[in-house]
Formats: sequence, C-alpha cells, structure tokens
Amino acid sequence: MALILHREPALTNPDMIVGWPGIGNIGLITVDTIRQAVQAEEMGEIEPWDFFYPSKVIIRGSVLTDMEFPTSKFYYKRLANRDIVFFVGEEQPVSRESMYAEGARAYEMANMVLDVAEKFGCGRIYTSGAAVAITHHTHKPRVWAVANQKKILAELKTYPNMVLMSEVEGRGDQGSITGLNGLLVGTAKKRKCPGVCLMGEIPDYLSRVPFPYPKASQAVIEVLSEALNLNVDPHVLDGMIGQMDTVLESVYQQFPAEIKERLEQRKETPQAKPRATITEEDQKWLKEHIDDFFKKGDKGV
Amino acid sequence: MTDFLKFLGKPKLRNPAMVVCWDSDAGQLGAKTVAHLKRELGAEEFCDIDPVEFFPLGGVSIENDVVEFPESSFYAIPDRDLVIFYSTIPRYEWFKFLNLIVDVAQEHCRVREMYTIGGMIALGAHTAPRDFWATFSSPQIKKSLAPYELSRELDFETPPGGRPTLNSFLLWTAKQRNLQGANLWVPVPFYLISADDPRSQKRVLSFLNDRLNLGFNFTRIDAEITRLDEWLANLRREQVEIDRSITKLEGNQRLSDTEHEKLVKEVEEYLKKQEG
Repeated sequence: MALILHREPALTNPDMIVGWPGIGNIGLITVDTIRQAVQAEEMGEIEPWDFFYPSKVIIRGSVLTDMEFPTSKFYYKRLANRDIVFFVGEEQPVSRESMYAEGARAYEMANMVLDVAEKFGCGRIYTSGAAVAITHHTHKPRVWAVANQKKILAELKTYPNMVLMSEVEGRGDQGSITGLNGLLVGTAKKRKCPGVCLMGEIPDYLSRVPFPYPKASQAVIEVLSEALNLNVDPHVLDGMIGQMDTVLESVYQQFPAEIKERLEQRKETPQAKPRATITEEDQKWLKEHIDDFFKKGDKGV
Repeated sequence: MTDFLKFLGKPKLRNPAMVVCWDSDAGQLGAKTVAHLKRELGAEEFCDIDPVEFFPLGGVSIENDVVEFPESSFYAIPDRDLVIFYSTIPRYEWFKFLNLIVDVAQEHCRVREMYTIGGMIALGAHTAPRDFWATFSSPQIKKSLAPYELSRELDFETPPGGRPTLNSFLLWTAKQRNLQGANLWVPVPFYLISADDPRSQKRVLSFLNDRLNLGFNFTRIDAEITRLDEWLANLRREQVEIDRSITKLEGNQRLSDTEHEKLVKEVEEYLKKQEG
C-alpha cells in the first residue's frame, strides 16, 4: 500500500478539503464540484489494492487486460489568497460488517490523507458529509459544523446558514459522525491539525434514498466558498438540484397520506424551530418502502 | 505474509499446475470438482490460510446440523504434479488473501499455470450441451490453450454498479506477479444451481484430464448424469407444467417469472426427495 505523488508543488498557506461518498453523496458532490469549479490539477493518489474490492474488469478477446479500482486522488489549486489541496475518495474503505468505514483500514487511510496535508503544510482540514435532520425537502438545508479544536468554533459561528451541532434544536451537546468524514477530523485532532466537518442537512425521511441530495451540497459549497474565498458560482448545482427536486417530489407524493400530513407540518415551521417528528412506525414504514419507489419502473420514477 | 500460512508438510512438486475452487458457486461446481480430484487422485493437504483476518469469526453457521467453519486449504498430488486450492470465499482483505494464494503457488510450489473454476447461472435447459469458456491472463496462455476451444473472443466490461468476480480478481493478481492462468466458466442451468450438475462437473474435469494428463475414469460421474437425467425425466412425466417449462427452454423460449420460480422450486424439492 502506497501513497504516490506525481507532483509536489510548492503551496502557499494551503487548506485541505476532503470528500468521500455517504448519505446523499453530500460530501463527495461538495468537494468534487468545488474541485472542478476551480479547475484543480491532479497531484497524486493512494494505491487502492489493500483498501478496495475492484470496481471493473476489462476483458478483450477473452484476455483480462485491466482491472479498475475505486480511486482516492489528491488535487491542488493555487489561488489568490490561499492554495487548496483536495482529496476525493470514490469509496470509503469498509473492512468489516459496517456500511461505514471503521477499523484499521479506515484509520490507515485517514492517516495517509493527513500525511499529505502535513507534507504540504495544510493549516486546516475540512471534511463534508450529511446531517440527517428533522426538516423538509422544500427548505434550504442548513450546514451543521463541528471542529476538532474549541478555538475554531467562534469563527464557524460567523458564517451564514451555519449552525454548530450543539445548537441544533433538540440535539443537546452530544453527537457523532460516522465514517471517514468524522474519523479524519478525529485523527487530525490526534495529530494536532485543526479540522472542521461541515454537514449539509438532509431530511430524515430521505436519508435512505439511493440518490444524491445536491441541495445540501450546494449549502456546504456556499459556506466553504465564503470561508476560503473560493468564488464558486452559487448556482453551480442548480441543474442537478432541479432534476432531483422533480424525482424527490414524485417519491414524496407516493407517501401514505398520514405520513405526508405530519411531514407537511414541517413545511410551515420556520427554520430553527422544533418541527414535527415522524413516529417510529412511520420510520419503519419508510425504511421498508423507500427503495420500492425507485424500483417501480414506469409506475414510479 | 507467511504468518498467515500454516504449513503441514512439504510436498515434492516439480513445476505443477494449480486448480483453484471456491465452496460456493452455481451447482457447487468448485466443491464437486475438488471432491472428484481428491477422491480420484488422493490429494493431501499441505498448507492452510489462517482465517482470522479474512472471515467474520463471531460465531459459526450450521448446515444440516453440522457446524461449518471457513476453510482455505492447499492440497498436493505430487505424482500428477498438481496443486489444488479450495476455500470458502473470504469476506475481507481480498487482495491480501489472493496474494497469499499466489505466494504459495510461486514461492513454495513453483506453479507454472493456474486455473480457477467457476459455475455461472445459465437460462438454458439441462438437456442442452454444457458450454465452456475461459478468460486468460495473457495472449500466450490463450494461444497454448487454443486446442481446447475455450475462447469465445469475449469482450466484456463490468457494468456500472456491478463488481468483478473473485476469480477475475485472482487472475489479475496472478497476472501482476507474472503467474499465467485462466478462469474457466461453465454455465449451470438455473434450476440446478442449488443441486448438483454432474454434466458441468464432467465438462471441467474433462478439460483438466486432457490438459494435465490426469487419467480420470468417468464411470461414476457418467452414472450421476444418467441418474439426474432419469429423475428429471420422471419429474417431467409427473408434472405437465414442469415439462412445458423445460420444453420452452429447450426451444430457446423465455419463461415467465412464475414459471421460472415454480421450476426452480419443484426441481429442488424433487431432487431433495430423490436423494433421500
């Protein structure tokens, strides 16, 4: 297992932005969108063999010519105020039964990413993921934030549409972040590297939907763009958001009337006020049926 | 890596071929192939892979009141210059696991070529001849196996959302380390995948027999083919719907979902009853 750097550019005052897939693919879309918007250049990768099962075999004339694996790549961009290093992982390394990265392999990958951050002198690490929230899909998602050092929190409060996790209605001061987006900021803490995890809100009833939720990525992009002065077009994901809104509205209309009625109450409640929760029974029903809406072919979406 | 390997002996091998089979594929093709090789040629276990890194060991599974446990064993047949690897499919750390297989093949046995065996689900009838094809690690081994008519000049890419088979992953791993090999595939009729398909087994064993000069006697497997054919002929006589479905398959027609499910269920139950 190895880290391969094709280039070692001299960077000024860089920060690192990291994204892996997860709920609604919020983190991955966030980081990949910014990476493409600023036209970052590839600089290296983590060899995949020990972390991932291959994703594609290529056979030509009955001869196995190639095998493709999920990629874990580093990019960089020189900007006016500060340079940025990007890390984009196509998959999280899953070593045991959990659907989220955990254990030795995940820790190993987190440390390899941080090795690069350290090598290029990154001052801060940003990860991005999903915040499963009691909200409605017609609302603009807020961005929840946590940091691995107390002194960063005051700065985070200055960004618009951002809320510290402890300030989210009904959450209290306890919480957790599953997978590598959480593990990386934790490992960064151990290595005394400042880190922030930004999580875009996704409604609880959509958290199992096997589709992206770009609206939340857009919200995180806005925050990162301001925090790092990136000047990313705030409408960059409008097309994808429009498409997904149509799909999600169609799924939503197929929910049973009583669940929809409870969810509709959220629509009327202003942001940052406690909203109607769905019952355990509703949650069970959604868990069991949400996939069906995407399997109905011409009857569904 | 040798920490994961437990050697029980050091067989005298010259420059052997290696056959790799897994315990769960369509028609139990791997398990049956290994059983035949061991029974006919008297294979002896000489090494196994420690399961702790590669399998969930939180308990055991039970099959027909018998406790199952992951097995990953190497067997040698010195007088035929043959190595067999038979294993439960690992759940974790695949690359490390596959490299251990190649370690034993190259560093401990000087294996010259490796064959993986895989059964795959076919939509045809059991009365049709079994197809047999291969994917190769290089044009050289493809050429050397040309007399066996294994190549179908296949072009393939795993579709989005799919995953390559473990046999493909192993062939690629072996190729990276300059070990020549081929993945051998035999389609097994879909209604025989949880039972035996001796015709598929014979197809694989005939190839190995010809390629590796194993001197097999096929009397037993021929008897199994005859017995299965008779059982399925009886079932067709007893159940008109089953006969109609198999006849449709023989005419290359597709079955409805209901016909498909019924055929699988009835054949499985009938064969279980026959086997007592």
